[in-house]
Amino acid sequence: MTAALGRRARRRWAFLILGGALAMPYWILVDTVARLFVAPRGPAGEIVLSFADLGAALPLIAVTAVFPVVGTLEASAARTLLGVPLESSPESRMRTALWSVLHLGLGLLVAGATLALPPAVVALLVRPIVPAWSGRVAWFPAWLAPLLGAVLAVAAVAGVGGAGRLLARSAPPLLGPSAADRLAALEARNVRLAERNRLARELHDSVGHALSVVTLQAGAAGRVLDADPAFARLALGAIEDAARGALAELDHVLGLLREDGASPSPPPDLRDLHRLVEAARAAGASVEVRADIDALPAVVSREAYRIVQEGLTNALKHAADAPVTVLVEQAHGSLTVTVANPLGVGHRTGHRPGRRPGAPTGGHGLKGIRERAELLGGTAESGVREGCWRLAARIPLP
Amino acid sequence: MSAAKPVAEMTAAAVTVLLADDEPLVRSGLAAILGAEPDLEVVGEAGTGAEAVSLCRSSAPDVVLMDVRMPALDGIQATRRIVDAPDPPRVVVLTTFENDDYVYDALQAGACGFLLKRARPAEIVQAVRLAAVGDTLMFPAAIRDLALRHRAPGSASGPASLSARLTDREREVLALMASGLSNGEIARSLTLGTETVKTHVGNVLAKLGARDRTQAVVLAYQSGFVRP
Repeated sequence: MTAALGRRARRRWAFLILGGALAMPYWILVDTVARLFVAPRGPAGEIVLSFADLGAALPLIAVTAVFPVVGTLEASAARTLLGVPLESSPESRMRTALWSVLHLGLGLLVAGATLALPPAVVALLVRPIVPAWSGRVAWFPAWLAPLLGAVLAVAAVAGVGGAGRLLARSAPPLLGPSAADRLAALEARNVRLAERNRLARELHDSVGHALSVVTLQAGAAGRVLDADPAFARLALGAIEDAARGALAELDHVLGLLREDGASPSPPPDLRDLHRLVEAARAAGASVEVRADIDALPAVVSREAYRIVQEGLTNALKHAADAPVTVLVEQAHGSLTVTVANPLGVGHRTGHRPGRRPGAPTGGHGLKGIRERAELLGGTAESGVREGCWRLAARIPLP
Repeated sequence: MSAAKPVAEMTAAAVTVLLADDEPLVRSGLAAILGAEPDLEVVGEAGTGAEAVSLCRSSAPDVVLMDVRMPALDGIQATRRIVDAPDPPRVVVLTTFENDDYVYDALQAGACGFLLKRARPAEIVQAVRLAAVGDTLMFPAAIRDLALRHRAPGSASGPASLSARLTDREREVLALMASGLSNGEIARSLTLGTETVKTHVGNVLAKLGARDRTQAVVLAYQSGFVRP
């Protein structure tokens, strides 16, 4: 009995009374309209009409639940008064409507009982002492009245408690996120995490690498400035290139981070290949493309895009006027991506002296490609062969 | 590590160094920094882990500066192979970031310390000299952080079992090793002879099953025996 009157039960009761209060306008509206057509006879008729009004108000309550604000308000009231942990507001209008009908309908019943039953119980309990209070209802013996009063009181408390429990139990399925909502939220979280990890990795690989090169080359140049000015000059060139490359990467990554605030655009994949090629052509390259991109898994398609991107960037950097060939082929259960261009006149990698710091190798981008290809169980290699610079990657298809 | 410590035990012959990093610009920078020192000599450069292993056999360097991520055998596997050979050189791992998990793996594989690529030239030179002598922990604070970050909860050797294996004197020596003191400095601090300290250090390593000083100190931190 203490639980039935405890703090939790009282809060649930308050929540039901709130529902009753919210239901009142509907009930009054229906009642007013109904009285235009029917005139109830006697107290029994009034009671029947009241319950009929309640039944007719329920569809109205369900209809108004289509406003999203209802779901939000109901969820926050349920969180506070029912003590139900709800992670997010409901998404489904159908479920919100069901919940509103349950809450307001039960609330109206409980509110009515709360108003009507205490006087009735008191009247029954005192009937043997104050017979005048019992009025005209006298179809049972007076000595039974206190017993009936006690039963009524217990039944009322039990009924209110039961209604509260029913609401508390229905809140999570009706107001909380559905399994599909939760799955979608989890999926979104995973996508965000993967994106963050990718950005961290990019910063680690590109900017970290470039700054290491800058630090070491600058330190070395400072040490040998007098003894080996030629080395110092080359080191300065390498520092300049590495820092410029790092700034470009930083620009790119910061751009992605800023976009993250809005809805993140999906990373590009091979379906965006034409844009990449157009950009390269706009930069003056002559690019020939043969690509079979049908039915590729998303992750393979994304990586293949990045491989082509890296290959085109490298080709543009080193031999802007040489024709570039991009091949994307699916055969023998794997995807092969090849970016090749003949070494043009003045191709810088061709002139790099062996142990000297020289033009940047573009190494970290290619290194990243190799690592990601390996992550997917594939391989990637780049280099000069038969007068052509070639980046070739093979990624197995599931 | 601001002022260079005098390295008393240094021999007259130059310390030979092998550089292993797949980025030529890192190698050329390191080569220029180390080559400018009369007592250091770069005897080889490797672009892959496999190359590093074979150059170690042919040129027998005193110290290897080893990048972790390299094609054809990464730095961790290369380190493992190099230290498994008889009379191995000391391997120092090169890293861009301190909090790379790879660094810990490399220490487990047998590297005696690690060196940040952003270290000052003087620190790089000093680290190579210290590694060559092998009686001082490199960058003690960094090793401590690394050990604590990788402390496995409920590891087999608690402080009790670890310290129970050591004598009081050995415990003192281990604590001083952890703070980065050389054998000579430990000897002065405990007013013992350097040879005695060497014996204690050897006993500590043997009792802990540690390959070298670095591993012993990492164990000491991880077991909670030495507190930061």
